[in-house]
Amino acid sequence: MKIGILSFAHLHAEAYIQNLRAIEGVELMGIADEDRERGAHFAELNQTQFYDSYEQLLEDDPDGVIVCSENSRHRPLVELAAAHGVHALCEKPLATTLEDARVMLEACAEAGVTLMTALPMRFSAPIVEFKQQVDSGSLGRIYCLNTTNQGRMPVHERAWFVDPVLAGGGAIMDHTVHLVDIMRWCMDSEVVEVYAQANRILHADMVEVETAGLLMLTFDNGVFASVDCSWNKPFNYPTWGGLTMELISERGLTTIDAFRQNLNVFLQGPARNAWLYWGSDANQAMIEEFVSAIKENRPPLVTGEDGYRALEVTLAAYYSADMNLPMRLS
Amino acid sequence: MRVGIVGTGFMGRTHAAAWSATEAVISGFVSLNKAMAEPIARQYQTMAFDSFAAMLEEVDIVDICTPTHLHHGMVLEAAQAGKHIICEKPLARTIKEGQEMIAACRAAGVQLIVAHVVRFFPEYALARKQVHDGQIGNPAVLRLTRGTFQPKKTEDNWFVDFAKSGGMMLDLMIHDLDYARWVAGEVETVYAKKISSEHAGAHVDHGLVILRHRSGAISHVEGSWAYPPPLFRTRFEIAGSNGLLQHDSADTAAIGLHLRGSGDEDIPDVPLPSSPLIEDPYTTEVKTFYRSLLNGEPAPVSGAEGLAALQLALAGIESAESGFPVTIDQLPEVKEEKRS
Repeated sequence: MKIGILSFAHLHAEAYIQNLRAIEGVELMGIADEDRERGAHFAELNQTQFYDSYEQLLEDDPDGVIVCSENSRHRPLVELAAAHGVHALCEKPLATTLEDARVMLEACAEAGVTLMTALPMRFSAPIVEFKQQVDSGSLGRIYCLNTTNQGRMPVHERAWFVDPVLAGGGAIMDHTVHLVDIMRWCMDSEVVEVYAQANRILHADMVEVETAGLLMLTFDNGVFASVDCSWNKPFNYPTWGGLTMELISERGLTTIDAFRQNLNVFLQGPARNAWLYWGSDANQAMIEEFVSAIKENRPPLVTGEDGYRALEVTLAAYYSADMNLPMRLS
Repeated sequence: MRVGIVGTGFMGRTHAAAWSATEAVISGFVSLNKAMAEPIARQYQTMAFDSFAAMLEEVDIVDICTPTHLHHGMVLEAAQAGKHIICEKPLARTIKEGQEMIAACRAAGVQLIVAHVVRFFPEYALARKQVHDGQIGNPAVLRLTRGTFQPKKTEDNWFVDFAKSGGMMLDLMIHDLDYARWVAGEVETVYAKKISSEHAGAHVDHGLVILRHRSGAISHVEGSWAYPPPLFRTRFEIAGSNGLLQHDSADTAAIGLHLRGSGDEDIPDVPLPSSPLIEDPYTTEVKTFYRSLLNGEPAPVSGAEGLAALQLALAGIESAESGFPVTIDQLPEVKEEKRS
C-alpha cells in the first residue's frame, strides 16, 4: 500500500513518517509540499521522494494521503485527494470553519473515499482502558467530568500555530477537539450546549490569539464537563503538556492522566528536568487504523464526521466567549 | 482577652485547641444544651454556659462555630452586647443576612472576622504571596479543586440540609471561591454546573464553576462531595504571564499510613487534610485573628470579604439552577472597604 504526505506544515508529519515505516506492507511514497524548501528538506532528511506539486503525488497512484497542511488549508488538499479518488487522513482540527468541513465531508462522500480525522487520543491506551470501564458499566451512572488539555504555547514548534487565520484561533482551536472527541466517543453522546471564557494574558506580547480558555459542555445524556484548553505551561515545562480527565460517577472518582507514563530525568548541568514518555504510541495505532480501514474497505474509528462534530463544539466555544452566554447546538 | 466558643462540633473543638495555644482565656462553651458542652468544658477546665446570652456576659470575644443558618442571629446578638466576633465561614446563609451582620457590627463598633481558614494553610498562603510579589506575573488561569465525601454526621446532619447549609457550594467550595478572589481579584461573571442541579436523585454533589475576574483572569473552581471516603484532596494551579504554580495534596502528603484492618468506623465525620505541621493552620488562623483584636488592627478577613465570598457561592448556585452566567454587582459593603 502506498501512502503519501501532503504538506509538511504540521510537525506531526515527522512522526507519521516513522509510524508508516513501522507498518509492514506500507510504502511511504513521498512528500508533496508547496513550500519547496521545506518539502525538499524533510524529504531528504527522511530519505524519501519529494514532489513539488500535490497533483504530481496524487497522480502517482497513492492508496491514501495524510494531510498535514495548516488548519485553514486542509480543505483544498482533501478536496484534491477526493478528486483523485484517494483516501485521506486529515490532521486535526478538520478545518477552521464549518463550511470548509462540510465541503470536505461531501467531497469525500461523493468520491467514495474515506476521510479520517487525526484524533489520536482514541488510540491512547489509558483512554481506551477508560472507555472499556465506561462501557462495562462498572463506574455506574456518569455525572460529570473535569478535563484538561493544556500545554506550552506551540509557537516554537511552528509559527503558524498561533496565526489567527492559518490556525483558526489559539488555545481553544488547538486543544478542544481532542477532549470533545474522547467524551463523545466514550459516552456515545453529543454536546448540546457550550459555555466558554477565554483571555490573552499569557504571552500577551507575542500573539494575537487567545492563550487560555475554560469551557463547560453539556451532553445530551445530561453529563456536564469542563475543559481547560489553556497554553498555561511555561516554555521550560518538562514536557509539551498533557491531557487529563476526572470523572465523577455513582461509584466515585475515576482519574485519567493520558501522558502520565513518564521517566523523570535529572541531569547534571543547566538543562531543565525532563519527562521521557514510555507509554504506548497512540499515533502509531492511529496510522495503523487508517491503513487497515483502507485495506478492509471500512470506515475508520475516527471519521470526518467526528472531526466535524468536534469543530462544531470548538467554534461554538468562540461564540460563547464573545457573547458571555451558553450556546445551544442544534 | 476572654473568648467564648459557640458550637462544640468539629469546628468548635478545632478552634478550642487553637485558642488554647494563645494567651486568651477560654471562658467557656455553649452548645445546643449544657450537657453537650460539658465534656469539652471539662477538657479545657472551663465552664459550660446555660445559654448564649449567659456567655455574652462573661467574654470579650465570641467565636461562632455553629451551623451556617445560626450565624446571623448570633452575630446580631453578640454585636448588640458589644463583643468582637469571629464567625465560621460561610458568613451567612443569604446576602441580606450577611449585610445585616456587617451593619450591626459597624454600628456597635465591634470587629467581625470571618474564618476563611484556607488563607492560613501554608501552601495557599505561600502561593498567594508568590502571586502578590509578582513572581508569576499577571494571573491568567487559575484551577482550584477541593474534593471529599459528603459530611456523614448522622444526627441532625445540617450539612446536607440545603436550607441550613446552602449545600456543597456554600459550605465547601466557598473556600476556593474566596481564594480565587483573594489571588486574582474581583469577579465579574460566575457560571456553574452541579450534580444536584443536573441529576435529580443523585446522592452526591459535585460542582464546576468558571469565573471571569475583572482583571480578565479566568478561574476554574471544582468542589466535590462525591469522592468515596476517606478521600480528601486539594489542588491548585495558577498560571501567570511569567510562570506557573502547582500544588496537589496527593503529592505533598508528607506521611502515608497504609494500615491493615478496620473499616468504616475509622472514617471521620468531616474530613481533614493531613499534612503534618508544627503549627496547624487553624491555630495560625486563630492566633492571627487574636493578634488583630489585641492590637486593634483591621480584621485579617473582614465581614465584607466573607460577604463577597458568599456572593460568589450564591451566584454559583443561581447559575447552576438557571443555566446562565450570573453577573456580580459589587456590594456596597465590599466597595466601601476597598475605598477605606
